[in-house]
Amino acid sequence: MSGQIIEESNSSETKELEQKQDKQKEQDEDADEELRKLLLPDVQTLPSTPPSAVESNFAIYFVLDFMKPRHDQYVYRHANGLCVIGLAPSHVAFNDEGGITAIDFNVGKSDRSGVKVTGKRKKNAQHFESNTALCKVSTKNDSYIVRCCVKGSLLEVNQQLIKQPELLNASADREGYIAIIMPKPADWLKIKPSLVSLEEYKKLREVS
Amino acid sequence: MEQKAEEEISNAFPPSSFSSSDLKQLLHSLPSNALNHFFSLGVCVRCILRLFGIKGPIYASIDNGSVENPVDSTTSNETKLCNICLGILQFRFYDDKEKRIFQKDTAYDVALLIADMVRQDGYQFDSFSLEVSIPPLILQNEASLWSYMQSKYGSEPWFREKIHTGCVSIKDALKFSLINPLEKLLDCKSSLCPFRIRLTYTHTKASEGVAKCSDNGGSCKRRKTGESDSIGEGTLSSSVEDESFDFSKLFPKSENEPCNFSYNCSRTPFYFGGRYLKYSRNVSQTRWIIDDERMGEASVEEIIGIKVLQACGGDNYKFHAAGREDIDVRMLGPGRPFILEVQNTRLVPTEQFANDIEKMINKEENKLVRVNNLKLVGSDGWNLMREGEGEKQKQYAALVWTSRPLKDEDFQQVSSLKDLKVAQRTPIRVLHRRSPLEREKIIHWMKMETVAGSSQYFLLHLCTQAGTYIKEFVHGDLGRTHPSIGSILGCRAEILQLDVTDIKMECFLT
Repeated sequence: MSGQIIEESNSSETKELEQKQDKQKEQDEDADEELRKLLLPDVQTLPSTPPSAVESNFAIYFVLDFMKPRHDQYVYRHANGLCVIGLAPSHVAFNDEGGITAIDFNVGKSDRSGVKVTGKRKKNAQHFESNTALCKVSTKNDSYIVRCCVKGSLLEVNQQLIKQPELLNASADREGYIAIIMPKPADWLKIKPSLVSLEEYKKLREVS
Repeated sequence: MEQKAEEEISNAFPPSSFSSSDLKQLLHSLPSNALNHFFSLGVCVRCILRLFGIKGPIYASIDNGSVENPVDSTTSNETKLCNICLGILQFRFYDDKEKRIFQKDTAYDVALLIADMVRQDGYQFDSFSLEVSIPPLILQNEASLWSYMQSKYGSEPWFREKIHTGCVSIKDALKFSLINPLEKLLDCKSSLCPFRIRLTYTHTKASEGVAKCSDNGGSCKRRKTGESDSIGEGTLSSSVEDESFDFSKLFPKSENEPCNFSYNCSRTPFYFGGRYLKYSRNVSQTRWIIDDERMGEASVEEIIGIKVLQACGGDNYKFHAAGREDIDVRMLGPGRPFILEVQNTRLVPTEQFANDIEKMINKEENKLVRVNNLKLVGSDGWNLMREGEGEKQKQYAALVWTSRPLKDEDFQQVSSLKDLKVAQRTPIRVLHRRSPLEREKIIHWMKMETVAGSSQYFLLHLCTQAGTYIKEFVHGDLGRTHPSIGSILGCRAEILQLDVTDIKMECFLT
């Protein structure tokens, strides 16, 4: 008899627990549903081709004929002041048959790929002028010097290029970037007038 | 230790009034040779009582105006500044605010000043804790006088008895004086509690005191930590050995200056814990100002902090969260744990109070921020939040665009990657303020969800290790994060929107 009573009270307890769990589940599902609604975008408002990460986060500039004809480079400047340097699509090296075959960071007085910059204060970063050589890119028959274009501290060079120089041919504007430089605000203001915007670049080089 | 002493003071004797004849009797019961000697040296009556280890509310009851010299019933020492306590126990002091010297006759008079100050600021309290700060010079005097007593009366039998109880410190004597009258005036008991009344005595000759303090080295420190302890044991070792100590310094011919006395009250901080959600892509987590211009239209910390601050009348707040998200990233799901520290509240917040504030914040029209589970937390709140902060997993939903249409195989390939290791070089967008390092992070799982009406947009759900840069994982950061969604799918990928959908931490979930 007593066993029966215990069973009954147990089952009412478990019923309560189940009800609680069901309620929690319902609440969780409601929350999930609300979350889903927030997450799903309205396709109508989405552009067919969104701006790229570079376009969204950097101001894009070009420098034309830097010290030599058709030595065109780009400078992407981030809001935090850092500048990404690379070869513009109109650079003379891309005209050579087969494109760029090799890259060498050992120019000037040191191997640019060897410097280790450490810490928040960017210790050991080398200070370069705008005409300091960054690297040398070689094609089948020629080689070209790539320079800083912006006076500042060299934070890093793109190590990937050493193993994969073909990145320069395939995507010089993204994975094929050459280096990242940190100019002082005053130095940036001095160089900015000599740079051209994307619009001007397209006009001057008749690129679409 | 402190609590016990305060309780002792409160409970020991009922606040009955000692008459001046009671005081006379008490003084007569003390060893007369020592008593007369100290009186002749200009030691004030309360310093004498405490030298003989007397405790209790007698300190509060004595009226300076009616103390008599026990020997010849001439006027007491209370007209001159005591060379030991420099007037602290005589209720003589220089008040910085009023810019003049005060001379109060009773402890009650001093308590009146303090009680007025407390009432001015509108504090709500049901208890108070009295804290006293004394210049090192006077602490040195205390110690020196004790060892002087030791050297002069060490052989006397009454001294040998006393040595176990020691003498009462100036701080304790002051508390004996003030706590009972304050309890009456403020209508509550004193105890160890968040509401602190602080009495600060300073003296221009402090430098002399500091030099002496450093001579004693270890014993000085011990005195500081065992405030309510008897002085005797702590300093005997060093001072007694120093037989060449010039005791005449304790009793100079020329008059000293009284101390500067200032007093204030404050409350120790209260802590609120909870979770916040951020629905806006234009609200930063903390106040963000560049060149005098605010970035974004508001901040989570201000939305929550200002409301709480106003509601409980605090001086300022500090916002601490378990991690952070960018200004353009929404914080959804259960929300991110945070602790809000509120300093010097005038009101005492309760659980109901926390509930009310939560409702108030969530009722805001613009619905930028939501708060869940807001409640008062103790010191354990910190541990809950900091524990495993670096290991906790975070879940995200990203709106991703790819440069080519995606097929089922792509979806399956992405879903199949479990605990994917990703090498992230410091993203360019933070490289100006963080060390250039390569950090390995883990993407625990990924799931792609189609977006109706598009073959190049999809929702990427992912669960990652704390500290992973999600945006860079999607677009690759010029190849500096590898692998990336783009490299996995063999095309270009861009991220349009990011939302945090879960922070897998145990705290503040109810």
